[in-house]
Amino acid sequence: MWKFIIRRLLITFPQLVFLSVLVFIMAQMMPGDALTGLIDPTITAEALDLQRERLGLNNPWYIQYADWVSGLVQGDLGQSFRFKMDVTALISERVMNTILLSAVSLIFTYIIAIPLGIVSGRYNDSPLDSVITGYSYLGFATPIFIFALVMLWIFGFQLGWFPTSGSVAPGLESGTMEYYISKLYHALLPGLSIALISVVSTIQYLRSEIVDTKQKDFIVTARAKGASENRVYNKHIFRNSILPIAAFFGWEITSLISGTVFVESVFSYPGMGLLFLESIMQRDFSVVTSLVLLFGAASILGALLSDIILSIVDPRIRIK
Amino acid sequence: MGKATINKVLFIMMLMLFLVLAACSSGSDDTGDSKSDEGNGESEDAGSESEKADGKIYDIADFSPLKEGEPMDGGNLNFGLVADTVFAGTLNYNFYSDAYDSEVIDWFDEALLGVDETFTYTQDGAATWEMNDEGNEFTFTIRDEVNWHDGEPVTAEDWAFAIEVIADPDYDGVRYGDVTSIVGVEEYHDGKADSIEGLEIIDEKTLKMTFKQPTPSLLSGGIWTYALPKHIFEDIPVAEMSSSDAVRVNPIGIGPFKVESITPGESVTYTKNEDYWRGEPNLDSVTLKVIAPETVTQALETGEVDMVHSFPTDQYPDVEESLTNVEFLGRIDRSYTYIGFKMGTWDKENNKVAMDLENSKVGDVELRRAMWYAVDNNAVGERFYNGLRWNATTLIPSFYEIYHDDSIETPTYDPDKANQILDEAGYEDVDGDGIRENPDGEELVLNFASMSGGDTAEPLANYYIQAWEQVGIKVEKLDGRLIEFNDFYDRVGNEGNDDPDIDIYQGAWSVGTDVDPTGLWGPNVIFNYTRWEDEENTRLLEEGVSPEAMDLEYRKEVYSEWQEYMVEQVPVFPTVYRSQLVPVNKRVVNWDIRQEDSELYRYEVGVTQDEPVTP
Repeated sequence: MWKFIIRRLLITFPQLVFLSVLVFIMAQMMPGDALTGLIDPTITAEALDLQRERLGLNNPWYIQYADWVSGLVQGDLGQSFRFKMDVTALISERVMNTILLSAVSLIFTYIIAIPLGIVSGRYNDSPLDSVITGYSYLGFATPIFIFALVMLWIFGFQLGWFPTSGSVAPGLESGTMEYYISKLYHALLPGLSIALISVVSTIQYLRSEIVDTKQKDFIVTARAKGASENRVYNKHIFRNSILPIAAFFGWEITSLISGTVFVESVFSYPGMGLLFLESIMQRDFSVVTSLVLLFGAASILGALLSDIILSIVDPRIRIK
Repeated sequence: MGKATINKVLFIMMLMLFLVLAACSSGSDDTGDSKSDEGNGESEDAGSESEKADGKIYDIADFSPLKEGEPMDGGNLNFGLVADTVFAGTLNYNFYSDAYDSEVIDWFDEALLGVDETFTYTQDGAATWEMNDEGNEFTFTIRDEVNWHDGEPVTAEDWAFAIEVIADPDYDGVRYGDVTSIVGVEEYHDGKADSIEGLEIIDEKTLKMTFKQPTPSLLSGGIWTYALPKHIFEDIPVAEMSSSDAVRVNPIGIGPFKVESITPGESVTYTKNEDYWRGEPNLDSVTLKVIAPETVTQALETGEVDMVHSFPTDQYPDVEESLTNVEFLGRIDRSYTYIGFKMGTWDKENNKVAMDLENSKVGDVELRRAMWYAVDNNAVGERFYNGLRWNATTLIPSFYEIYHDDSIETPTYDPDKANQILDEAGYEDVDGDGIRENPDGEELVLNFASMSGGDTAEPLANYYIQAWEQVGIKVEKLDGRLIEFNDFYDRVGNEGNDDPDIDIYQGAWSVGTDVDPTGLWGPNVIFNYTRWEDEENTRLLEEGVSPEAMDLEYRKEVYSEWQEYMVEQVPVFPTVYRSQLVPVNKRVVNWDIRQEDSELYRYEVGVTQDEPVTP
C-alpha cells in the first residue's frame, strides 16, 4: 500500500505544477489588477504606477511565476497586496474558521443523514420513506444561498437564537473558554444550513444501498438462520451499505479546507471560501494562486484518502 | 421490449418534450420583455404616467444630515460596517488603501486639522496653522492637550515622521502622491537627500512645512495631516510597518475612542478615550462589526446594529415604512454619474492624452450636444432612483455649494432640439431606415460601454440607447452586454490601454475634498478617459490652482467659467447627482454624517437608552 501512496503522490506533483501554471496564466488574462479598485482622484496615477512596479505587476507572467515559485520553495507564498500581510499568515488566520465550520456541518450531516437513510431504506416505499425522499428532492432543488438566507432570517433575526454574522462575538479574548464557546455558537447556524442541504445526497446513497443489499442472498441466509430483524439491519446490511459513504469521506475532508463560498458570504463568516472569492474580485493574485494550489493539493489528497479508506472498509478492494 | 419499458420510454420522451417547450417559452418571454422596455421608453414621452406606477418620489432636501438630542451617560453603540468582504485590517491612515479600513480608523484616529464646509482647513482641529504671505510656508502648532492613546504627547516629530515614512522608497502604501508637493520629498524618495528639506521641526509642538508652490489646493486637502507615533514605529523597518502589530493588532491614534480588541476582518471593540483632547466622549464603548449587505435591513430592525456606514439608497423605498425604529439621515453625495465621449488614446511615452478628433466618431461637438439633449435625466432619477438621484448640470456637483454654479444653463431633455441640432450639423437619414448617417453619408453606429452591477444597470443602459435611437442615433452596447467592473476600467483606459471600440461610456466619479478637477479632466491625467484636451480647458484648470486663486472669489469665478466651458464643449456630460442616506437607530443622538464643517464631533455621539429601539 505504501508503494501505492508514494506513486500517487508522485503523480500528484506534475498535476500541481500544471494547475499552478494554468492559474497563473488565467490570472494574467483577467482584466484589472489589485490596484484597479483604487481608482480614486485623491490617489495619483503616479503613486499607483510606483506600486505596480514595486509589486512586479508590470512583468510578464513567466517572470512573476518564477518569482512566485522561488518564494514557494522557501515556504514563502508571497504577500497579499490588499491585506499587506503574508499569505501564509492570512490563510492560517482563516483556515481555523473554515475547519470549525466544516467539522460542524460534517457532524450535523452524519447525525441527520445516517438515521434518515437507514429508516428510508429499511421501510422503503412506506409513507415515512416518501416523506424522507420528498425532503431529499426538495433539498436537491433548493439553492444553498437562498436556504441559508431563510435560515438566517428565521433563526437569526426572527427568533434570535443564533448570532447573525461573524465567527466570534466582538471583544472576547482569544484563548478563553468563552471565546471557544462563542466560536462554536457562531458556527452552528451556518453549519446546520449547509448540513440540511448536503445531507440529501448521503441519504439517497444510503437508501439505495440498503434497498439493494437487503435483497442479497446473504441477507436471506441471515434471516433463515433466525437472526432478528434488528440484527440483520444493524450488522449485516448497514455495514455493507456504508461503503459509498466511507468512500465519500475523503472528499468531505477536502471541503474542510476549501470552505463554502455562499454560506460564508451570507453569514459574513470569514473563512477560506470567502477569502477566495474576495481575492478574485479584488485581483489579489498572490492569495488566489496560493489558495488554488492549496485547494488542488487538498482535493488530490482527499481522493487518495478516499481510496485508502475504501481499502480498509472493504477488504475485497486491494490496492497494489 | 415489455410494455412497462415502452411506457417508461414514452414518459422520458414526454419529459424531454416538456423541457424543450419550456425552453421555447422562456425565449419568447425574453422578446416580450424587450418589447415592454420599448413601451416604457415611449411612455417617457407621455410624461408622468410611469412615475405613478413606480411609487413615491423623494427629495434629498427633506432629509437632515444630523440628529441632535440629550444623551444619557455612557452606553454602548453598535456600528455596522456594510461589506460583502472583510475589512483588510491595515488600521493606520498612513498605510490603508481599503475604504472599509478607513471607517474602522475613523473611530480611533483623526486628522490634525479640521475643515469647514469648503473643505478648507480651519483652526478647530488638533493643530492650528499659520501661512506666510506667499502661501507656500505653513507653520503648524499642535495643541498641548493632544496625546496618543498610550499617553505620550503628539509631537511635531511624529508628524514629520509620517511624511518621511511615506516618502521612503520602501513605503508600500499609496499616499506618496499626497506629499510630493513638499520641497525635498522627491529628492528624499530618490535617495539624493538624507532628509526632507521642506520639513523643519521648530520645537516639540511646532512644525514648519515648505511647499514647492502656493496653490489653493494646499488649503483644501493638499496637506498630509496624519501623524505617526514615532516612539512606536521608529524601530520597525518601513517595509514591514504596514504588516506590523502596531498597525494590525493594537493600533493607536488620537481619536475619541481607543481600540480594545480586534477580531481580524470582522469586528473591533473600542472604549472611550477619557483623555481625548476635545473632552470626554459620551459613550462608554463602541462595537463595530461587518454586516453583509443582504442582512442590513434585518440587523437594523432587530437593533443588532444602531447604525451603518452606508445604506443602498435604492432599498430605501422598500424599507421606509417598515423600519420604524430607525431615522434616515441624508445629504447630497460627493459624486456624480456621467456619460463620456472617447476622443483619442493615451500617449504612454509622454504620459499625456493623445486626442484624435478626426478618427473619433464622436469628435463633433454638435453630435455630443445633441446626445445630451436627447436624454431625460430627471426621468431617470425619478424612475430608477425614486428621486434620490436627480438631473446633474455641471461637472462640479452641488455638493460643493460654494463652487457649484447653478446659474449655468445646461441641456435638458428636448428631443426636438436634439433633432434640430443634428439636422443642422448634417447628420441626415440618407437611406431612410430611421437612423441618421454621419455628414459624409456613412453609417454611424456608436459603441456604448457601461458597467454591470445592481438591478438598474441594465435597464438604465437600455434607456439611454432607446433615447438616442429616438433622435436617430444608433448606439449599441459594447459587445452587446454590460461590462464587469475590472474589465470596464481596463478597456476604458485605466492603465492607458484604451479599447478603440469604445465611443461612449458611462462612468461615475466620487470627488475629492479639493474642488480642483484637474485630477479627472486635465490633459496629463490618465483618469481623463475621454482623452479630450484643449487649451482653454488647460488654462482654466491651471488658473484654478494658481497663487491668485488663493482668493476665494477669484477661484469661484474661474471654476464658473470652467463649468460653463465644459457645458459648451461636452467632452462628457454629467447625468445624475446622487444622495447618501444613513439609517440611525432612534436612541442614537448627536450624529452628523458630514465630515466637513460638522457641527457635532464624534466624541459627542451618545444614546438615550441602554437598549436599541425596536419596532
